[in-house]
Amino acid sequence: MGMPGRTDDHQWSQRHLSHYVEGELRPRARRRLDRHARGCANCGRGIRAMRALVHAVQGLDGLTGIRAPATIFDRVRLAGAGGAASSQNA
Amino acid sequence: MPGGPRSPDPAGGPGAAGGPGAAETEASLVARAQAGDVAAFERLSGAYADRVFMLLLRLLGDRAEAEDVAQEVLLRAWRGITRFRGQSSYFTWLYRIAVNEANRVLEKRSRQPAGVSLGARELDLPGAPAQDPSRQAENSELRRALGQALAGLPPPLRTAIVLRDVEGLSTQEAAEIAGVGQAAFKSRLHQARLRVRAAIGDEVLAGAGG
Repeated sequence: MGMPGRTDDHQWSQRHLSHYVEGELRPRARRRLDRHARGCANCGRGIRAMRALVHAVQGLDGLTGIRAPATIFDRVRLAGAGGAASSQNA
Repeated sequence: MPGGPRSPDPAGGPGAAGGPGAAETEASLVARAQAGDVAAFERLSGAYADRVFMLLLRLLGDRAEAEDVAQEVLLRAWRGITRFRGQSSYFTWLYRIAVNEANRVLEKRSRQPAGVSLGARELDLPGAPAQDPSRQAENSELRRALGQALAGLPPPLRTAIVLRDVEGLSTQEAAEIAGVGQAAFKSRLHQARLRVRAAIGDEVLAGAGG
């Protein structure tokens, strides 16, 4: 098996941008993407965009502290009043 | 972001029904719930009710619908509790039911005529703490764009990005909840991120920093 060519490296790098920004690539694979991205503006931009995207999504909704409604067990209570848990699928 | 089930809140209430304590373990509550004890089931599930509700809000983007589906999730969990074997944590099992129910609703929505599909209201939720006005406007614009981009994703991709990036679950746990292997989950997540990135544009993302 020969060394991967430039096009192979680019396509491979594009497929692994998510894993790269999460730090999930093994050292050898990370070095491969690093090496390619140094000479590829497209992949360099892709890494920055993916990082920014993950960061933005993490702070997206400000939902911390939202409480479940008081009614959340209403149907369970109704069903429970009619008998024990059945064997229906969940 | 939290990386797993939080500690039960002892304050009480539907979202924090005391939770399994030291004397009352999750396993003992599961056993009692499986024997038909509704109070034990409420205690068991109440520890995760807030998180389930927030997940549904994130996936569905509509409070009234999230409330309705949350009741259905708990009902399904109650009806299926005898099938819970403890192969995963109770949290993972419950979250999986929630994801399945949310996806069922999202699939149903996608079959409805245009005009009643997901809109800008999706994930247009309470804002972050006050910042300077220009930065706030940028963030507000980004949040709206992100919300719309997420709303446009097919349910499996939306689920992947919400579980992993918004909820902050590990890949392993998120994959288990989504009901797929880790490789398939990573692929979904990557596809979701690519689509959101394409919808928002690199310039907007670059302005957001990271």
